Amino acid sequence: MKNILLILSTSRTSEDAIEYSVHLAKKEKAKLVVLYIIETELTNEVFDKFTDIGFIGDKPSTQLTEAIMKEYRQRGYEEMGKVQIRAMEENVDFDAVTTQGDFVEKAIEVIGRYKIDTAVAIKRKRSVFLKYFSKSMVDELAERAPCKVEVFEE
Amino acid sequence: MKVQIDRRRIWLIIILKSFRPVFFLATGLFFFYIINLPTPDGLTIQGQRAIALFVVCLILWVTGLLPLAITSLLAIVTVPLLGILDKKETYALFGNEAVFFILGAFILAGAAMHSGLSSRIALAIMNRFGNTPAGLVFSIFILAAVLSFFMSEHAVAAMLFPIVLEIAKGLNLKPGKSNYAKSLFLALAWGCIIGGIATFLGGARVPLAVGMLKEATGINIDFFEYTVMVFPTVLIMLLIGYFWLTRFFPSDIEDIHLAKSVFERKMKEIGKTGYMEYAVGFVMIITILFWLFFGKSLGIANIAIVSVVALFILKLVRWKDIEEYVNWGIILMYGGAITLGASMEKSGAAAWIANTIIGDWANSPLLVIAIFSLLTILLTEGMSNAAVIAILLPVGIGMASQFNIEPKLITYAIAVPAGLAFCFPMATPANAIAVSSGYITTKDMAKAGIVMMILAWVVFNMTARFYWPMIGIKL
Repeated sequence: MKNILLILSTSRTSEDAIEYSVHLAKKEKAKLVVLYIIETELTNEVFDKFTDIGFIGDKPSTQLTEAIMKEYRQRGYEEMGKVQIRAMEENVDFDAVTTQGDFVEKAIEVIGRYKIDTAVAIKRKRSVFLKYFSKSMVDELAERAPCKVEVFEE
Repeated sequence: MKVQIDRRRIWLIIILKSFRPVFFLATGLFFFYIINLPTPDGLTIQGQRAIALFVVCLILWVTGLLPLAITSLLAIVTVPLLGILDKKETYALFGNEAVFFILGAFILAGAAMHSGLSSRIALAIMNRFGNTPAGLVFSIFILAAVLSFFMSEHAVAAMLFPIVLEIAKGLNLKPGKSNYAKSLFLALAWGCIIGGIATFLGGARVPLAVGMLKEATGINIDFFEYTVMVFPTVLIMLLIGYFWLTRFFPSDIEDIHLAKSVFERKMKEIGKTGYMEYAVGFVMIITILFWLFFGKSLGIANIAIVSVVALFILKLVRWKDIEEYVNWGIILMYGGAITLGASMEKSGAAAWIANTIIGDWANSPLLVIAIFSLLTILLTEGMSNAAVIAILLPVGIGMASQFNIEPKLITYAIAVPAGLAFCFPMATPANAIAVSSGYITTKDMAKAGIVMMILAWVVFNMTARFYWPMIGIKL
């Protein structure tokens, strides 16, 4: 049985990508694995800002970070719930993984673990300046992944 | 062993890997270059060295490659090492009244947060006034502002954020899409920012500026006097802020009864008001009254420290609790900034810069206020507001002495706009928190914030032009 991976994250979700992945999995008679990556860069940035220039100590900063992480986790469950409903409607076999950390590393780890044939990733809009100076994470994933990666532009 | 291959472009990898050491080496070389330049006429050797150190601190504060507190420590040790001031004088500056006031105010705010008093007040007000979509935005905006009159705006933002997040969640608002969610999170951030400039307690930047002024000129600004000077700016900005917020992000919901259940659940969670909350509230009120009416005679730092001692006598807090609520590192930042400012002033460097660089245009106090406030409000969008004060105030005070402008006015022109950073998350933690929610993007904040920034500058200068003379300030 083939495996299709849909990669969602805190800042990368798309209704079109969800629809596409469900239909692709149905067409290929494949299992749909949804990976939701909770990105920690932003929360770390807020925490660093409080530590560096903020007037409050560790406890409120930690509570704040926890509140943000809880919100991100809940959003992840909601997104995965949406995909699960669509998969059930289309009779597609479904599995879900939630993790936090580096987008590319986590995606590659799951691709290896589930022996994925096709991964579907969502690319955020980026400014020309950023495009010139740094590669997008999704492009990096497409280069490094041992499987085909289909990219959706937001 | 897992080997990771860096697949970025080779030139980019080389630049990124070598950037930090090359940067510090270049900064060090630049420092020695300035020190070894022939000393210009009218500037002492100590003044030249103070300028070299000032430039290094400026670079480090702007780039943020070192934590702010570490740059300040670097300034403290370098001042006596370069012979700008002697050791005793340098380290004595760290014991400035402003540093102890900031310390006391942080501890009092920590006690208010620890007791749950601040959260109770927040929930009670939101529950009472947040009956309509506009009413809820207004209550968050005003609440954040009013709380920031009495405690650090960063603490207020951190305390209110989880409540606002739950409201947004409870109302099923879509992250990044809902206008109403955007207005809720901006109301929180902007309320804190505007309220934070109203008194000495909203942030440490005002006590820092006042401390630097006193160190350089012996002139003091007391708690009451500052509030009277700034309050019209705060009131007008609150009105403008609310108007702009509701126009820029018109509400896309009509019913907010779901938010009410969030308040009710939260109120239930915190239970009935206890002895600790009443007692902390009482100590806070007495302290603020003393700051307002006896600040000049008793000294604001003395009042703050006595109140802190009272908290411990009444067993309202333990040292362990306070340790968790205070950012001790940031206190180093303020001590360092005062030392750097004093070294610029006492070595004559500030006056030399004012004379040489600023020159003849500084002939009208209003023009000087307009230019310094503009510079400050622009710089504060990209860097810490305390760093902006540490950089601009020594030059401003030096200029005031040279051109017979009241140094207090320059202090206001820098200390007040330094807190008005509306556009970017990196400018202030309140903005960073709002963006981290995911309900508002950096782009939304910048678009709405740029108008606020311009209006804030205009309102501050209009207040200086029309209101200050009415209360007897000669321009």
